[in-house]
Amino acid sequence: MEDEQSFSDICGGRLALQRRYYSPSCREFCISCPRLSLRSLTAVTCTVWLAAYGLFTLCENSIILSAAIFITLLGLLGYLHFVKIDQETLLIIDSLGIQMTSSYASGKESTTFIEMGKVKDVIINEGIYMQKVIYYLCILLKDPVEPHGISQVVPVFQSAKPRLDCLIEVYRSCQEVLAHQKATSASP
Amino acid sequence: MACRGGGGPGQFPSAVLSRVSPGSLSTYRTHTHNICMVSDFFYPNMGGVESHIYQLSQCLIERGHKVIIVTHAYGNRKGIRYLTNGLKVYYLPLKVMYNQSTATTLFHSLPLLRYIFVRERVTIIHSHSSFSAMAHDALFHAKTMGLQTVFTDHSLFGFADVSSVLTNKLLTVSLCDTNHIICVSYTSKENTVLRAALNPGIVSVIPNAVDPTDFTPDPFRRHDSIITVVVVSRLVYRKGTDLLSGIIPELCQKYPDLNFIIGGEGPKRIILEEVRERYQLHDRVRLLGALEHKDVRNVLVQGHIFLNTSLTEAFCMAIVEAASCGLQVVSTRVGGIPEVLPENLIILCEPSVKSLCEGLEKAISQLKSGALPAPEDIHNIVKTFYTWRNVAERTEKVYDRVAGEAVLPMDRRLDRLISHCGPVTGYIFALLAVVNFLFLVFLRWVTPDSVIDIAIDATGPDGAWTPRYPPSKKEGKNNAMSKTR
Repeated sequence: MEDEQSFSDICGGRLALQRRYYSPSCREFCISCPRLSLRSLTAVTCTVWLAAYGLFTLCENSIILSAAIFITLLGLLGYLHFVKIDQETLLIIDSLGIQMTSSYASGKESTTFIEMGKVKDVIINEGIYMQKVIYYLCILLKDPVEPHGISQVVPVFQSAKPRLDCLIEVYRSCQEVLAHQKATSASP
Repeated sequence: MACRGGGGPGQFPSAVLSRVSPGSLSTYRTHTHNICMVSDFFYPNMGGVESHIYQLSQCLIERGHKVIIVTHAYGNRKGIRYLTNGLKVYYLPLKVMYNQSTATTLFHSLPLLRYIFVRERVTIIHSHSSFSAMAHDALFHAKTMGLQTVFTDHSLFGFADVSSVLTNKLLTVSLCDTNHIICVSYTSKENTVLRAALNPGIVSVIPNAVDPTDFTPDPFRRHDSIITVVVVSRLVYRKGTDLLSGIIPELCQKYPDLNFIIGGEGPKRIILEEVRERYQLHDRVRLLGALEHKDVRNVLVQGHIFLNTSLTEAFCMAIVEAASCGLQVVSTRVGGIPEVLPENLIILCEPSVKSLCEGLEKAISQLKSGALPAPEDIHNIVKTFYTWRNVAERTEKVYDRVAGEAVLPMDRRLDRLISHCGPVTGYIFALLAVVNFLFLVFLRWVTPDSVIDIAIDATGPDGAWTPRYPPSKKEGKNNAMSKTR
């Protein structure tokens, strides 16, 4: 089963949430941001180049122009490869654990896996971020020493920053899976 | 009553403030408010303002209002925390400048405060303490955003020195378009009205309160063979530590069975140590150093007489706490102190060594002749005077009144600033108000109100922590979260 809904992020941008229900114990949530738009790419390139031409007319050194070209190219590569995240995925399987994948615009993927034994809970928390107060989804990890303590808080969807309505959808499904896991692990 | 003779014309009768609450029996209420308390001073910092904010908020929550508190980050304590009964506290990461007060540029706190006011749907901003820069900032921003404002002043100021003149000017600017002001005593009201050139009609008097269950007498803790005088205050000039250092040797010579216990810390501690050294009073004068609030009661119950030597005081909590512990109170007649306790529970003196010694001698002779009422009786009288529930009830009336008033629109606010605060300051602050408004318009353009998530209420009518009356319906935070959409 698969469905797609559209939400917005905390700055008002559009986000798409895809939910894939493989089984009651396995679900996947995928938040995708819009791809890099041609308009913003053009705008940034034009500003850098106009600034470079301004400098060039002042000091008449053609090195500035070639430097501008390199800066634009390297900046674009770095941005696509290290900064711009197109898609963030949360896969939760009740007997195994939670896997978070973020795919960069260049195609690079980075994956984190948390095994279920370590997961204490999935919650929505609120925090101060830049000049905003936002809600975010996070995973609480159990403290290995003290069973009721929390050793770490892992935020989910860090780059997309969806709004509360989207988080509540994901939160509810995660809680269903966690409840299923508790029920099955308690019964035998 | 030697030391009470010759009450001047400006003296108020020692009416107990909390008795004046007409119509307090009717608990009928039209609607609830979303209140945001703003102050630089809140727990974990300790003091009178902090406990005032906390207790008032708890009682307002009990009465069904939604209350949040905004303060600055204290060390590692930053972000959003919940206290008892879902009281939500925002510890904002703003720079602390001096004495736990934040630096102010009037603008830098606008983005965060606006975000909080919008997401919590705040209707009334209640700022506390004139020493708090954040409180004034919040008032300024709230007026720009068109929200109702209330301000509580907790302290008295002078008029003479340069720093008071400057602070008073700022207060004039800050309060000239505030909807309502609350003072803790009539003396404080008089002071604030004069300092800030206000219309007295918009200033209410609501005293502080003590939790009488925290301050109960315990006559078995004190030794009746000796007489113990307790002093609990910060050892600073304002609290009259210099007077204390004059009283101690004089009375110790006169009464061999008199002991002093002094709790508190401060720059003037050194002069008390000097006195103790010079007159060899180490076994009779105990200096306890800084006390935590929970230990104050244990110190108070060890004494028979409580001595307060303050030189200025808006509303003296310490003497109410002492009287609640069943001590005879001897105090200077300054500021709002004569209003606080009825005449038979307090001996008032002029702020001089001679007069205070006379007052203490009178208390000692009363004590020796057994003319003083029993501690339990004093406690039972005092505990009815100042309760937080009463304070909350009266503050609620202020909110009800303020909610019905209109906030000054921008043009009238500018007129008010210019006509009210003098030609130079008026124009400067009118300009700043315009800049602040433009900044707000810019922020609304960058992040429109519709993009800001509405926060889930912890308290108030739809609060997740509010007890529900059909108890069969199990209400948790998760269920409440789903209701917001």
